Amino acid sequence: MHIMSTVTGWLIITGCYLLGEFIVQMASIPLPGALIGLLLLLAGLLLRQRPAVAISRGAQPLLTHMSVLFVPAVIGVGLFWDEVRQNALGITLALVATTIIALGFTAWVAQYLMHRKEQR
Amino acid sequence: MLRAELAISYIIERMGEVLVSTASTDGVFWLVITLLAYAVALKVFRALSGHPLVHPLTITSCIVGLVMWLSDASAGSYRENAALLQWLLGPATVALAVPMFNQWQKIRQLGAPLIISVAVGGIVAPLLAWGVIYLTSAPLAIQMTMLVKSITSPLAMETGAAIGGIPALAAVFVILTGIVGALAAPLTYRTLAVTLPEAQGVALGAVCHAVGTSKALQMGEVQGALATVGLGLNGILTAIILPLFF
Repeated sequence: MHIMSTVTGWLIITGCYLLGEFIVQMASIPLPGALIGLLLLLAGLLLRQRPAVAISRGAQPLLTHMSVLFVPAVIGVGLFWDEVRQNALGITLALVATTIIALGFTAWVAQYLMHRKEQR
Repeated sequence: MLRAELAISYIIERMGEVLVSTASTDGVFWLVITLLAYAVALKVFRALSGHPLVHPLTITSCIVGLVMWLSDASAGSYRENAALLQWLLGPATVALAVPMFNQWQKIRQLGAPLIISVAVGGIVAPLLAWGVIYLTSAPLAIQMTMLVKSITSPLAMETGAAIGGIPALAAVFVILTGIVGALAAPLTYRTLAVTLPEAQGVALGAVCHAVGTSKALQMGEVQGALATVGLGLNGILTAIILPLFF
């Protein structure tokens, strides 16, 4: 039973993804289909107003093991090795230093705004 | 009607390509190698109680890279063979609706501060990165690609192409940004005394997209849900706004 509901949930999620892709292709919206699929599923869950066990179960493995899905993109660095090497310093600075600064700054602003709202 | 048929045939064609490349001998081989490498990576990650330097993505990629080097496989052929994993990113992105739904009350409660925070992250991160890469006088295509580095890969690749960047390089920048953020987040938060789970999550999602979100999910459910909101909102905003400027 457990496996059945996981599979059902996964099929619903994948269905939302394909529907999102279809809408994007159909209306030539410059947004990724997966994002439209996410919004569709979220709208569905909100309209239903109670937790959907099957969908939660189907989502779990995808969310827990999302890391492995990025491996092809990481390996893709090899395809652009020359461009990356020629601009290595700038790219490293832009990716490492500014990401850390932006992350810290954003988190700090978020904490400041959220604390202020709580105190009111 | 014709348009619907075209859209359906395009989607089926792409799924067919993924299935064909996965069902080949090479496809099965590289899928098995990747999954085995991932299993090892998870073991290592857990053994070292989740130290950010041994993020499963880093270790899995290193092992796969090593096998590729030993077997003389090219990055291009690996990407083709492992197309199924890349395709599954679509459903995985959709699955992010679940933690968002679970935390919906919290999201509504936070309201404006949440949206402003996402906007801050979404504007500061790409502008800083672009500024640095502009100063080192890198080619224009690389500059444009840098602008989309903070949003989720599928969005970044399409938006990057729309403003004159290189789609595949966009994916690489996005991933590296995510890894840097996931690695640096714990220390950065400790240094700046950011202890609020909501703030930790939203920054990871808005600045470091899906890799940051998977790190946030690991930190806790609240962090994960807010990272999802950050990722989604920032992705939509950037994808809509950037093409208007270029």
